[in-house]
Formats: sequence, C-alpha cells, structure tokens
Amino acid sequence: MDKIINDFTINIATANGTGSQSANLILLQSLFDMGVPVSGKNLFPSNISGLPTWYIVRLSDLGYQAPGDRTHIQILVNPATWDEDLAAAEPGTVIIWNSDTKKKTVEREDIISYPVPMSSLARKINPKIAKLVTNIVYVGVLAELLDIDQACLESAVARQFKGKESAIELNITALGLGRDYCKENLTKTDPYTTESREVDRPQFFIEGNEAAALGAHYGGVQLLAWYPITPSSSMAENIIAYIPRLRSNDEGEATCAVIQAEDELAAAGMVLGAGWAGGRGMTATSGPGISLMQEFIGLAYFAEVPSVFWDVTRVGPSTGLPTRTQQSDIAMLYEGSHGDTQHIVLIPGTVEECFEYGWRAFDYSERFQTPVFGMSDLDLGMNRWACEGFTYPDIPMDRGKVVREREAFEAFETFGRYLDVDGDGIPYRTLPGSGMAPILYRGTGHNPMGVYSEKPEDYFNLMARLKMKIDGARDELPAPLLREEEECEVGIVFLGSMENSIQEIDDILEQTGMKVSQCRIRALPLHSEVENFIRRHETVIVLEINRDGQLYGILRRELPNDLVTKVHSVAYSDGMPPRARIYAELIQKKLKEVSQ
Amino acid sequence: MSDKPARAVKLNVLNEPKDSYTGGPSSLCPGCGHDQISSVIINAAWENGIQPHRIAKMSGIGCSSKTPAYYLGQSHGFNTVHGRMPSVTTGAYAINKDLLYLGVSGDGDSASIGIGQLIHAIRRNMDMVYIVENNGVYGLTKGQYSATADVGSKKKKGTVNETQPIDLCALAINLGCTFVARSFSGSKKQLGSLIKAAMSHKGFALIDVISPCVTFNNNDESMRSYGYVKENEITLHMADYIPHFNPVEEVDVPEGHFRDITLHDGSTIRLETISEQHDPSNPMAALSALHDAEVNAKHVTGLLYFDATKPSLAEDLGLVDVPLLDVPDETLRPSQASLDALNAEFLA
Repeated sequence: MDKIINDFTINIATANGTGSQSANLILLQSLFDMGVPVSGKNLFPSNISGLPTWYIVRLSDLGYQAPGDRTHIQILVNPATWDEDLAAAEPGTVIIWNSDTKKKTVEREDIISYPVPMSSLARKINPKIAKLVTNIVYVGVLAELLDIDQACLESAVARQFKGKESAIELNITALGLGRDYCKENLTKTDPYTTESREVDRPQFFIEGNEAAALGAHYGGVQLLAWYPITPSSSMAENIIAYIPRLRSNDEGEATCAVIQAEDELAAAGMVLGAGWAGGRGMTATSGPGISLMQEFIGLAYFAEVPSVFWDVTRVGPSTGLPTRTQQSDIAMLYEGSHGDTQHIVLIPGTVEECFEYGWRAFDYSERFQTPVFGMSDLDLGMNRWACEGFTYPDIPMDRGKVVREREAFEAFETFGRYLDVDGDGIPYRTLPGSGMAPILYRGTGHNPMGVYSEKPEDYFNLMARLKMKIDGARDELPAPLLREEEECEVGIVFLGSMENSIQEIDDILEQTGMKVSQCRIRALPLHSEVENFIRRHETVIVLEINRDGQLYGILRRELPNDLVTKVHSVAYSDGMPPRARIYAELIQKKLKEVSQ
Repeated sequence: MSDKPARAVKLNVLNEPKDSYTGGPSSLCPGCGHDQISSVIINAAWENGIQPHRIAKMSGIGCSSKTPAYYLGQSHGFNTVHGRMPSVTTGAYAINKDLLYLGVSGDGDSASIGIGQLIHAIRRNMDMVYIVENNGVYGLTKGQYSATADVGSKKKKGTVNETQPIDLCALAINLGCTFVARSFSGSKKQLGSLIKAAMSHKGFALIDVISPCVTFNNNDESMRSYGYVKENEITLHMADYIPHFNPVEEVDVPEGHFRDITLHDGSTIRLETISEQHDPSNPMAALSALHDAEVNAKHVTGLLYFDATKPSLAEDLGLVDVPLLDVPDETLRPSQASLDALNAEFLA
C-alpha cells in the first residue's frame, strides 16, 4: 500500500465544553511545528456546553487551507453525532472511535476501524477529569498512527498550557497512554502518515482577531468601546490583554481606555465621542452590532467624525448562525445608515493584513474624517493561520487636517469647519477645548461654516463634497492583490478570507485547461486597478461567500457599462468555510452558462 | 474724543464679560422654558468663571437638544442622535477628561429612547452635568406625551394620559447617582445655584428641570388658554400657529415652603422647595420627599441627593494623568523593539 503523506483531512467530532479545543490545538500546533502545512477549522455551536463541535484539520503539502472535499480520518467521541458522522464516512475512511461509548459501536466493513477505550485510559490518569483527558488520548492515538514527532507534541502541550506544570505533565502522560495503547493493540492498515518538512522561513500560528488587536495598538488606539459578540469578542479581549505590555507606563497607567458599553449603540456613540474629541476610538463587533450602529455611522459620515469599526462577520440575517462564517455585510458596511452614504472598508485576507489594517484604519479615518470599517470574518478572525511576523508601520501616524496651533489657525483667511480649502473635499478641523473656531457638530444639514442650514445649495454642495472626498480615497487605499496569467482568459475577483481557498480553486480550474487570474480586493471604494484588471480579462467571475453577490452588485453599479457584461457573479454560502471544490464547480457552471 | 467714561461692563473672575458666554438666537417658541434655562446656564458658567472653551456642550435630539446653539458660543458642542448623548460624551471624556461636559437633554431623550444610556452613564458615575429640560411632551413632533407626563394630563387634541410617569430623580437616586436635583425653569436663582454646584461636582450630576412647553403642554385647563388665544387671534384656525407668550415669571420659593405657579395656559403647578432639614446624604429621605410630593400633587425642588465619596469614571479607567488627547503620537504607538520582541516570542 502506498503511503499518503501530508495530504489528508482529519475530522474530530466532540461536544462543546469538554476541553476538546485544547487537544485539537495541540494536534494542530505539533503538525505545524513539524513544518507540515496544516490548517484547522473549528466548527463550534452557539452554546457553552454540550452541543456538537467538529474540528477539521487539513494537512496539505500544496498549502491548501480550505477544508478538504472529504474526511480521511474521522474521530468519533461524541455519541450525539455518532451515527450521522459514521454514516457520512466514505468507504475507506479511517474511524478512530471511543469504544467505551455506551450503546455505540462501529459496524461497517468498508472502513478502517480503530477502536480505542479512550474513557478507561483517561480514567487511569484521573477519574475526576476523565472526560477532559479523553480528548488528549485521541491525540496520542493519532500521534502514533500518523508518526507525529514526540518533541513537537510536547512543545505544543507546553505552549498550550504555558507554565502550568501539572497540566503539562498530565497531558503528556495522557498522550503516552494513547500512543502505547495504539502500539500494543492496533495494527495500522491505513495509508496516512506525516513527514516533517523543512520550512524556508520560520512561521507561527495566530488568529486574525489577535493580529488585528495588535494592529490597533500599533495604530495607537486610545479608546476601545465594545459590547461582547461572537466572533469579534476575542479581538476586544486581545486589545485589553496587550494593554499592560504595550500601552502602560511603569505605574501601570494606560494610554488606551477600555469601556465595555451597555450595547452596540453606546459603543458606537463612544467611538464617535472619542473621534470628536480628537482621539482614536474603535469598536469590534459583528453584523448584528453593525445593524444597531447604523444611526451613528450616518452621523459620523455626515458630521465627518473619525471612527473605526471592526466587523468580524458571521452568518446572517438576524441572529443567523452566530458561530459560522460568511461575507454578507459588504453592502451594509459600504453604504451603512440611511440616506446617501459611502464608506471606506478595509478587507484583510491574511493575518498580516489584519495587523496592517488594524493600524492603518485609524490613519485613513483621521485623514478622510470619516468612519472606516475593517471587515474580517469568523474564519479569518477565530481560526489560526500561519504568519511570518508582523511588519512595523513604515509611516508616522497620520492625524489628518487638525489645526492645533493658534498661529496655524490664524493663517486661514476664513475658517469654516466644512470649508473645502484644498479642493480635495477634506476640510480642516479644530478640537474641543482648543478655543479655536468652536462649532456645534450636528447630524442636521449644515453650511461650510458648520451652521444649521436647509438651503438647497448648502445641502447639495455638502453631499457632492462628501462624495468627492470618499472617491478621492480610492487609490490611497490598499490596492488589489493581483496574480495574473499571461492569457487573461478568466479573472476571479474575490475578497477577504476567500484568500485561503482561492489557490485550490484556481488549481482545480486549471486542471480543466483554463487559465485563471486572481484579483483580491482589499478595500472599498474600489481601487482603479480593479477596473483595469477586469478590462484586461475576457471573462470575470466575482466570487464571494454570500447568497446575493453583494460585491458583484457594487461592481455592476460602479463599472463602466462596457465592462459590466463580462462580469458574472458566483455567490454561495452554507455557513461552512469555503470548500474549494464547491466554488470551482459553481464557477465552471457559470462559465458554461455565459458561453452559451 | 469724548471724556465720558465708557459704561462699565461687568466682568467675571477671568475678566470676561457675560457676552463671552452667550450663543446664537433661539429658534424655540417664544416664552419656552428652555430659553430660561439657557440663560441660567450662561449665567452659571460666567459666574463660576469657567473658560468658555473648556466647556463641551452635549445634547441629543429634541427641542431641548437644540439649545446648545443658544448658549456658550465659544464652546465646541455635539448635537448627537436621539437619546445617545451620554455615550458620545463618555467617549469624548475618555480622550479629554479635562473638559467640563455639560449635557442638555429632554424627557423624550432621557426617559424614553435614551433611558438606557442615561442609566449607564449614572452607573459609571461619568463626570458631567446632565440637565433634563422636562416638559412631558414631544415638542418637535407636535405634542405627543412623553414618559414623564403626569397621569391625567390632557393634550390639546386627544386623550388623557393614563400611563404612569417615570420620575427621573427617583430613578437616579435608586441607581446611586451622586448628585440629584430638581428645579423649575422659572426659578432662576435656585436653578442657577444648582447648576453652579453641579459644575463643581466630580461625578454624574442630574438636574431635572420642569420646563413647561408653551405650545403643547396644555392639560384640561389649557382650554382656557386655547380659548384665550382664540378670542384674540382670528388666524388660529391655522394648524401651525404658535401663540406667543412671555416667559413664566420668576419664582423664588423659600426652603420648606411651596407656591402655586400659574403657567401660560392658566394651569398651575405647585412647587415646593425642600426644607433645610433635608439630609441630602440620605437616599431614603430623598425618595421619601419625592414620594410625599407626588402624593400631594406637588413638585419638590432643590438638591435631593448628594454623594461626594464615589469614584468617578476617570478613576476607574486607570489612565495616565494627562488627558489622552495630550499623549504624543510617539508614546501612543508602541516601539519597533516591542514588535520585534513579540515576533520573536511568537516564533519561539
């Protein structure tokens, strides 16, 4: 039997709140430390304890990070999903199962069965926490079956339980029990195994939310106002966690305030208050929070108040699937609030970009005096991704057109808060407390001097200037990332965490003889390079993780008419992180349709 | 040149004339109680000798929330969204704790749409003066009842209000608000003292000011007012006609006494000033005074509750001494070395 090395998917079915996440992360980290390209997807329920959880670990020497097409190794620990998971296993699947599970067994001839009395083994270590230890036992079994390096396993355990010696010892013992049971009782009949790989450049694992939180600190965030919501809470919690290290003086006094607000409306209000006062305020939330913040978003746009909002998106509408991933807030962020609005949206696709846009968001917001959104998603935000390290900001903080000194102020012939002095649509502002050009900021109509006005020309000119201001940001924002083929046949325009599936999609399509170019949009409003990319290609697919093709809608409206006809939408979402084959097949189907 | 000496302009301790504290002309209905409150605010800030540009004028939406345009023209302000002024103020305060935050709100803003934000600002003991210009109606939308309307009030058109009112002072005392007062827009002396005291208070100072709406607050007896105007103004059939009144006369009720005040529409309210025996450090006494007044159809005014011992939000935030606004960019952004160290640790 030929070995299958570093190219298979493990699916671990457990129950939420049983400690399986620690065990799964140890498995993932030890493979990563071996240099095996690996990704982990946590499919968890909106629940604290008891509901089913699956963890998908994909090993791929090609570097594919999407969940694979099928499961090669299935771990069965959770009786609640046992029958379903077993029935879903394709012939030839390896099933590693807890043989101590009451009323459950594995009776299929077409699979490879490895029964392991996980509960009894765990009870040997400590009967009181047997359920917890069961999880680490299956990692030990996998380690033996797949030839996972023991040193890497032990360092992953040490990393997971930083400094907690008794937990480290207990877990290493449990791993050993799993390994030993496997050696003594099971005969390996499956082809799957792992091999260490040399890594060109060292990498570490980090979640997008932690990367964005660090980015916010390197952007000098001064106020975090937030209300807990999955999947964004860990961004706020990471900002808080790094304050003592990155933002405090020797007395422990901080330069970043944190307020847990009473709701998302208040969080948004606080962010605006901070921007109005001259500071850098932000919130981290998800779609339902953005829905609640709409009124303030309109105020920030209209009164031109810097403010940063991170949306770690999840599945909507309504409460939706709170713990699953989707890109369905694109339209809401771009045109948030009632009335004519248009907002800057930064869309990271990697953890490095989460960090970078974490600090850049403040620069853009203060420079353009407008709300700026970061749009991440659950997949990017809450799963761990490989990273070579974060790059320090290469430019000083851009605080925008703020008049701070009396001398500079007096150089203005006429000072009006909303006067377009430079012709770029960006006015100058003075800060509360400065005594210079005080105005009453308002969400009502106003003239260039900031005074209430209902005059038609004042309203029309104000709206035209705001439009010009945001249009002027297009080519200042992160340009799209292009990976182009010479042939320029099919171009795929996509965004965000689809980055992690796109290469596999591209490869599947190229296997059919098609030449595929990629254009990853990294900001809204659209950079002019997007239009150029579309112009160069024969057919363009806009690929996104939602139902309605929200990005496609924006392109259709903003592209010149002659380009619109060659742009086509492929939008699909079922809550799962994007599986390459599904999207590749949908693209093939769409291309077939449009060629007819 | 005339030798005649210029007329002496009265100056405050900062050598500023009162003009430095005024604002633009009011667009509220002539005679509105809110305008009286604006003039008291101007006086209080002037008399307290506060630099006008060190005050931040905050408001939500409604008649009351328009008033920051009518006072302290040298102060920055933010006329925010309906009921959300407390959160905006909280965010501004986190950045610049050295400004005096003067919030003005109404009963729609504070007792309905924004009651949650009011409650949480009190809970945080956010350092600000919070004046509620309370008239029991929604003025800008033309006279719907608000959540502070008394049971039995009757609108010009429509039904009697049967829903229990919310007493913002009782609510605030229950929440542990550190400065709770009630006053009347016509009681300039008392209101002025309360606002001046509130400006000096460290923590959340709520002043609930009864401020009659000249246009929409008509109860039963308002028919007299209606009739009065009808007899005198033949144009009254125009639905948008707003009668002009002079402001309510100034009243000064001695401590421990009450007085009936006649409003524009001929109705009366009975104002009682809390007695000097009242112990403002005793929340039960304050609640009891409010309850007694309600039972006797009176409105008790004065400083009801006061607590100078609770830490204000600034102390809870654990920030550096200087306002965050004044922290230089180089300090706000952590060093290159700190990021190098993080990258190295992650890779270890």
